[in-house]
Amino acid sequence: MSVVIETKGLSREYKSYRREEGAWNAVKGFFKRQYEIKPALKPTTLTIEGGQIVGLVGANGAGKTTLLKILSGLIYPTGGEVSVLGYKPFERKSEFLRQISILLGQKAQLWWDLPAADSFNLLANIYGLDRIQAKKDWLHLAEQLDCSAQLHTQLRRLSLGERMKMEIIGSLLHRPKVLFLDEPTIGLDVLAQNTIRVFLAEYVKEHQPTIILTSHYMDDISRLADRLLLIGRGEIVYDGTVDGFVRHAEQHLKLDIQSEETDFEQVIHKFFEKESSGRTARRPLPT
Amino acid sequence: MRRNLAAARLAVLSQLEYRINFLIDAVLQPVISSAIEVTLWAAILSGMGTHQLGGYGREYYLAYALWATFVGRVTINWMYEFLMLDEIDSGRVNAILMRPISFYEFYLSQFVGYKLFTAGVGLFLPFVICLTMGLPLEISRIPWMLVSIFYYLVFVHTLSFTVACCAFFLNRAHSFTGIKNMAIWVLAGELIPLDLYPEPFRTWLIHSPFASGVYIPVGYVTGRIGHELFMQSFLSITAGTVVAGGMGVWLWRRGLRAYTGTGA
Repeated sequence: MSVVIETKGLSREYKSYRREEGAWNAVKGFFKRQYEIKPALKPTTLTIEGGQIVGLVGANGAGKTTLLKILSGLIYPTGGEVSVLGYKPFERKSEFLRQISILLGQKAQLWWDLPAADSFNLLANIYGLDRIQAKKDWLHLAEQLDCSAQLHTQLRRLSLGERMKMEIIGSLLHRPKVLFLDEPTIGLDVLAQNTIRVFLAEYVKEHQPTIILTSHYMDDISRLADRLLLIGRGEIVYDGTVDGFVRHAEQHLKLDIQSEETDFEQVIHKFFEKESSGRTARRPLPT
Repeated sequence: MRRNLAAARLAVLSQLEYRINFLIDAVLQPVISSAIEVTLWAAILSGMGTHQLGGYGREYYLAYALWATFVGRVTINWMYEFLMLDEIDSGRVNAILMRPISFYEFYLSQFVGYKLFTAGVGLFLPFVICLTMGLPLEISRIPWMLVSIFYYLVFVHTLSFTVACCAFFLNRAHSFTGIKNMAIWVLAGELIPLDLYPEPFRTWLIHSPFASGVYIPVGYVTGRIGHELFMQSFLSITAGTVVAGGMGVWLWRRGLRAYTGTGA
């Protein structure tokens, strides 16, 4: 399969204003600001082939969303090289944007004041899609996601689960070759999570896009991902399969795994615990 | 063009979702402002015991005050500038950054679409009142006035885009909108016709692009200014757009490099 995503030494730092507490420090900060630079993503080299579902897993602040945003072109990298579908994402060329999609679970991307159907019509026009075909597509997707009845309700009046389903339809309308999903099931009940998982699995079978998926729900990853990228403190510490991770976790990440803890979710929790205490081995696992 | 029309349609659809807000913005505000200004000019002229000021009679001031507030409402940008600032500040700009349409173009289409709609509703009132009261009105000049107003909107939007880009670097950039729009209110001649200012300010103000926000189109349609000055205003608008656009593009590019994808 052809390489769709390639990075070499890709990194990103964030600069933020820092001030000690108290009124005097606020006055001092008014005249002289102190900034600190934090590495969100350490130099990362990565290759992803077409048609794969890659699960990107890490604790909060580990750097997974930063990596996703760089790959989708939302933000600039600070260093290194990146290529997605042969384009430099941060240049955000129109031909590139027509082939990708990003869904940020915590940020609405459809228009809040309009019914989803109006937003889909607008998207069809922005992407220059055939209007009749686009309408057929979003009606079909809505049926699959069981949300046809909500298509004509103002987005702001929908529940979180219904809204997320609409966001998914909006992100798939132009049939992207690469799809970035950042926590698509966040805050949803078990039923809605499952509906979305089943839908994504079927969509991938049918259309074969490359998907980069981040989630804090390990069921999303274990059920959907062909490949797991485990990221900790800005660097990739494991690149392989979910099963491979469970098998090798004790040996290579030096996790204290009990004999009954053999499922992915439990092992990942152990990893996060280690990660938060800063004792995780910094050695990549074999795939 | 298809995507621009779709974005313009989005603006109209969004505004129609909130009927009361629309009526306040397009009709109620300019009606109240207009009533205040007409009363003010009537009081000034009768208080001075004269029928003329700066070479123009009472009816010219009444016509000017009437049109100025309605045209001023069309040519000012509060709502879309706040929206653009908020999108960058909150990170909702992501939704546009990932689409094959630029932020500038998307909001220009919406802004012009919305203003087409409000102009259709809002400018009808001064037209009817001028006809009814027999105030000065050059009907044949109305189409040109509309062309001038909509060309000026490109300049206004470019200024708003430039202000919105400040949100990449500053958290509470909304205050710039207030300062800018207050300045435009005076510089455009909505409060006082620009030909009443002493020289050299009079010449400077009349030839600045801001004059096309109120003074030039209103002066033209009420017969206060001639064709030559009116046509020159297109050059001023173009120059203003180029300068503001240059600043906007520079800020936008720098802003995107600093942007973290979650808001400024």
